[in-house]
Amino acid sequence: MKETAKMSEFHYVCPREQIRPAQPQTFEVDERFVVLVEIDGQVHCIEDMCTHDGGTLGDGHLDGACLVCPRHGAKFDVRTGKAVCMPATEDTPSHTVKIDSGKIYVALSD
Amino acid sequence: MSTTTIDKLDSAETFGQQAFERLLLKRIDPTWLTAKRKEAWEIFQSLDWPNPRDENWMRSDIRGLKLSKFAPNLDESVEISQAAPVRLLEGVEVSASVRSINGVVVGESLNPTLAAKGVVVGSLSRCARDHSAIVEKYLHSLICPKSDRFAALQTAMWSDGFFVYVPRNVRLELPIHLHASMGDGQVDLSHTLIVLEQGAEATVLFESSSPDTASHGFHCGGVELIQHGNSHLRYVSLQDWGKGCWQFAHQRASVGRDSQLQWTVAAMGSRFAQVDQRVELVEPGARSQVNGVMFTQDRQHLVYNTLQHHIAPNCISDFLYKSVLQDSSRTVWRGMIKVSQGAQKTDGYQRNDNLLLSDTARADSIPGLEINADDVRCTHGSTSGRVDEELIFYAQSRGFTRSEAIRMIVTGFFQQIFDRITIQSVREALGAAIARQVRQYE
Repeated sequence: MKETAKMSEFHYVCPREQIRPAQPQTFEVDERFVVLVEIDGQVHCIEDMCTHDGGTLGDGHLDGACLVCPRHGAKFDVRTGKAVCMPATEDTPSHTVKIDSGKIYVALSD
Repeated sequence: MSTTTIDKLDSAETFGQQAFERLLLKRIDPTWLTAKRKEAWEIFQSLDWPNPRDENWMRSDIRGLKLSKFAPNLDESVEISQAAPVRLLEGVEVSASVRSINGVVVGESLNPTLAAKGVVVGSLSRCARDHSAIVEKYLHSLICPKSDRFAALQTAMWSDGFFVYVPRNVRLELPIHLHASMGDGQVDLSHTLIVLEQGAEATVLFESSSPDTASHGFHCGGVELIQHGNSHLRYVSLQDWGKGCWQFAHQRASVGRDSQLQWTVAAMGSRFAQVDQRVELVEPGARSQVNGVMFTQDRQHLVYNTLQHHIAPNCISDFLYKSVLQDSSRTVWRGMIKVSQGAQKTDGYQRNDNLLLSDTARADSIPGLEINADDVRCTHGSTSGRVDEELIFYAQSRGFTRSEAIRMIVTGFFQQIFDRITIQSVREALGAAIARQVRQYE
């Protein structure tokens, strides 16, 4: 799906330099909330929602490539949105990131 | 399309000190009301916005609320063209009606025979002046501005609203109709106050809506239903704000000795709604039945926190909420039965059923009990699930399409609620509203 995202679906989020390694940041994109994280030089984007309790993830800390929910410790792989630790059992949506001319764009998945 | 970094929810200048002072200057309020507003404003300034660590707000995300985009209607002038369609009046003869636009009453009527009996129905602002003693006694007597910052804001800045007063032993044969509409991008800070004296009986149909389904807006409202002994109130509330609206509401009822309250709630609209609904059974023999219907779609997020509080012995409460969710919508229902010390022989029941029509919808259901008496019967339950494929298969084998089958199943799911509603126009209006929302599933 990442390859087929159209240009028109991408929303400008912030300058590339605003996202720093291992420092999750939350943004509102088209009335939804997402978390941007840089891992190994790549910027990734997942929904700012823990699928366990429906709360936010943005205040969580990173454990390797996983964002840890600040309330109950569920973990989500920021590269894929995959839930990798209980109590979350469902993946959180992952969004496509594009960097163009030093700017970060995000295309939201459904 | 929009992209922003996240800042703290800001009340902005539109709901700041200047706006409040302007409101006080513009209004012609009795002294007691001005004092009440000032007191609530102090509380508003001292409180923070609710945050996700608060139990009742844990599953609510209000970061998208941009209060700076909204402003209270200080001039009390509205365009009549902003009125939204009415749904509950089809084939119904009413004894009184009041309608507001953007939180300001623009029309009111009352059968003169009832007025002669002492019935009062009309603008809350006007009645606070014309019937000052009654309104002062009851207004914000059940809603505490310290509940949260939205309650404080509403208590301080309510714009107008609806007042219904039915004197002792007066029974209204025909319903009263109240309609609040809110234009696109507008604000509704209305309040509803209904008082039934001993032996009184009334049916009130309340609906809130927007001119079209995509409308934006900000509603911060309050409802207070006060019943004295042996009174009987049927209160129907249809919330059909536009899908871009934010709704924050505190709704309270106090039910007196041997009184009956039947409260029907239908929540269809708004982008986000947080409703704090409480029914207090304050004297022996009080009965309350609350029937809730929620139907959500797209990315709607509706939160209902309910409390059925048994303060007196020998009371009955019965809460039934049913939700159907489609697309990526979400409902949160947190229900609590609280039984105070001494409230023996309590009979409390609460149930929440959720039917999910898509993989991405989410229903959180959290029933709870807090019992401080030892001779009570309190039961609660909750179910959540997808549409049974076997039922669909069976319906298809009888010649129905998949879409028709799902519509039938949704209708059947709500039937238990419809069976409890005694007013035909309400049943039909809710049925039609639900039918409009069900997507074509193939």
